[in-house]
Amino acid sequence: MIRRDSLYRRLLTWLLLPLMALGALMVVQAWIEARHTADRAFDRLLEAATLAIAEQVQWQDERLWLDLPPAALEMLATDAEERVFYALYDAQGQFVTGNAELPGPPADAGEVPTLRYRDLIWQGLELRQGIRHSRLADWRQRAGFEVRVAHTREGRQRLAHELLRANLAYILGMAGLAVAVVLLAIRGALTPLSRLRQAIRARDPRTLAPLDLALPRELAELRETLNELLARMRRVKTNQERFIGDASHQLRTPLAGLSARAELALRQTDPPRWREALAAIHATSTRTSHLAVQLLSLTRLDNPEYRPELVPLSLEAVASRAVRGHWNACHRAGIDLGLEAPATPVTVDGLDWQLEEALANLIDNARRYGATHITVRARAAPPVLEVEDDGPGIPADRRLLMLRPFHRGSDDPDGSGLGLAIVDGIARAHGARLRLDAGSDGHGLRVGLHFPEETP
Amino acid sequence: MRRRPGIMLIALLWLATASATQAAERLHFPATGPVDGATDTLVVHGALDPSYARPLLEAFHAEHPSIGLTYRNLDTLGLHRRFLETPDEVDVLISSAMPWQYWLANGGHARPLSSPQAMAWPAWARWRHELFAFTFEPIVMVVRRELIDRFGRPESHAELLELLEGHGEALHGRVVTYDPERSGAGYAYAIQESRLTPRYWDLVTAFGATQTALAATTGEMLAGLKDGRYWLGYNLLGSYARAVADADPALEVVVPDDYALITQRLALIPRQAPHPENARRFMNFLLGDAGQRVIAEATPLGAVHPSLGGPGTAHALRESHGEALRPVSLGPGLLATLDELKRQALLERWKREFTRTDATSP
Repeated sequence: MIRRDSLYRRLLTWLLLPLMALGALMVVQAWIEARHTADRAFDRLLEAATLAIAEQVQWQDERLWLDLPPAALEMLATDAEERVFYALYDAQGQFVTGNAELPGPPADAGEVPTLRYRDLIWQGLELRQGIRHSRLADWRQRAGFEVRVAHTREGRQRLAHELLRANLAYILGMAGLAVAVVLLAIRGALTPLSRLRQAIRARDPRTLAPLDLALPRELAELRETLNELLARMRRVKTNQERFIGDASHQLRTPLAGLSARAELALRQTDPPRWREALAAIHATSTRTSHLAVQLLSLTRLDNPEYRPELVPLSLEAVASRAVRGHWNACHRAGIDLGLEAPATPVTVDGLDWQLEEALANLIDNARRYGATHITVRARAAPPVLEVEDDGPGIPADRRLLMLRPFHRGSDDPDGSGLGLAIVDGIARAHGARLRLDAGSDGHGLRVGLHFPEETP
Repeated sequence: MRRRPGIMLIALLWLATASATQAAERLHFPATGPVDGATDTLVVHGALDPSYARPLLEAFHAEHPSIGLTYRNLDTLGLHRRFLETPDEVDVLISSAMPWQYWLANGGHARPLSSPQAMAWPAWARWRHELFAFTFEPIVMVVRRELIDRFGRPESHAELLELLEGHGEALHGRVVTYDPERSGAGYAYAIQESRLTPRYWDLVTAFGATQTALAATTGEMLAGLKDGRYWLGYNLLGSYARAVADADPALEVVVPDDYALITQRLALIPRQAPHPENARRFMNFLLGDAGQRVIAEATPLGAVHPSLGGPGTAHALRESHGEALRPVSLGPGLLATLDELKRQALLERWKREFTRTDATSP
């Protein structure tokens, strides 16, 4: 079973895990500290006992002599009733007296400290040993000796446990407090998120108004991004609404003309008039259907979901097909339609019928705006497909406007105002850039589709 | 005494061992009823006179007749040596030699006992739940009627010192005490008293001046007192002295009222005890109500159990002598008593003080 990912759980895990690790570390440290403290406290007893014994060591009858003070041993046993061991060794390491032959310190080089402590396992007993090096204070005899005492660890353990218990209560209290604070903090930190969610959920699904909600910085960024998206959607929606308005307006005008023409013809009885009217109606409906086709293709091109499958094709083939398709019509209208193509083939990824449609639109536009020379040109490096005419051209400041649907350069009744918009849509579908320039000699218009550089 | 008529004292064997120095007396109570096997036995070694041990052992055997019980009476040193040689032979070790018993427990030879009786035992009379003091015996003076008639009864150490210094000539050879060199107990008392008061050494000097006789055992001193050789015995084991004085109107027991040492018998279960379960039963009996009542009523040893009162208990002695009682504390101070150099130093001082008057007066 896959556990659902949750910010709350993530925060909880990443805050509580280190917190627990820290707590464990503190407990370990507290235990070590408690042991050290207990050892320090109880080592004082070893120190005092060895001192009390060492003070009683004398030189008597040509040997080390000890009048053992019972209090020195009694101070080594606390309420915990430790087992107590002591021994006196001479400078040669020979046992002089004691209740146990305690092992000596490990031999080490360098200066020997007066007093040493160590932990010791001796005959299965866990002991703490104190070893004091000393010398007789006698002015005749300066023999060295060693007092070794040891006791079991019960008292130390008891003290260490007491210290640890006190510390543990403190640590547990702090841990509990920390967990509570972390829980509250996470809950508090995540509240704006649920506020944002509620605000989004509570919205009217049709509204695109920006979200107005006070949020912390990180979420404010999210809110701004969301608002930017909403603003873009608002613009798109406005464009769509205008497009629909324009399109219906464009369709209504010829339909109204058709209706008026038909009505007029119905009032007459003369068949030649009918025929005339029918011819006019036919022309208008042809244009209207052309308009409808253009609207349809524009709509399709504007659909962001539309991702046509691009295939490699030759630009000059597309250009020459377009010229061939329009040559007859142009020739009849007395327009010179020419083709310029490089010697080497120019290959881009694209859809041939869309590029042909774009060229057709551009040639049609050029014809309509009174060009006499139209050149269709394919260029390599970078790959460009362009149509140049010697017509009136478009002033530089109005060129971008021409790309809007239904925007026309002049009041041409036959033009739909969609041509350049369609070309722009096709260019975008190919990842190409549409450029409008003046013709080569400063007159006319040159419209080019600049394809992205072929990546080898 | 709740002595049932059918008490099973089947055999009482007095065995002289081959050892020339000591005679180990042995009491044996065989198991009766269903015999579970050879394991149901109990071996007790004690430095406790058989006449005092017997009532205790009988009472225990009456309570647990299925346990075959063997008791060996040894002297304190023999007991200690025998234990160190064969530590897995004995189940319960009883001795009045407190330093030696403490030395064993301190060295980890004892097994802790955590029964309710052991837990309830007063803290001053035990060590670590391993070593238990189950008797309460004062160290006393015994005086003959003759001395009381002539000089009055010395009630304290101070009065004794006064008496010795004032009437040294009259008491010449009439006083007896322990020889600390020959007797472990005498040495232990000497070291305790020297720690209690520096005036002890004046007393030793006074003993020396009156040519005090030195004995090795309480029994020896009591014998001398009974037949009139001595008029005053110093530092006798109260339990034994009481028994003799009760039977002899010429003798009186004095518990000094300035300070009185208290010696206690210590019992422990060795770590390698062969029958630890039976040893636990015996210890629980010894520390329990029944055993302590036997001690109070059938022996002069003195019961420790805090719930017991009346004659023969620590309670009664505390009521009569209160502040003067000085029980030997069960602590590592006892180890100092065993230190050989310490012993030599003390004995040397003791001899020096004892012979001081010989050296000064020609």
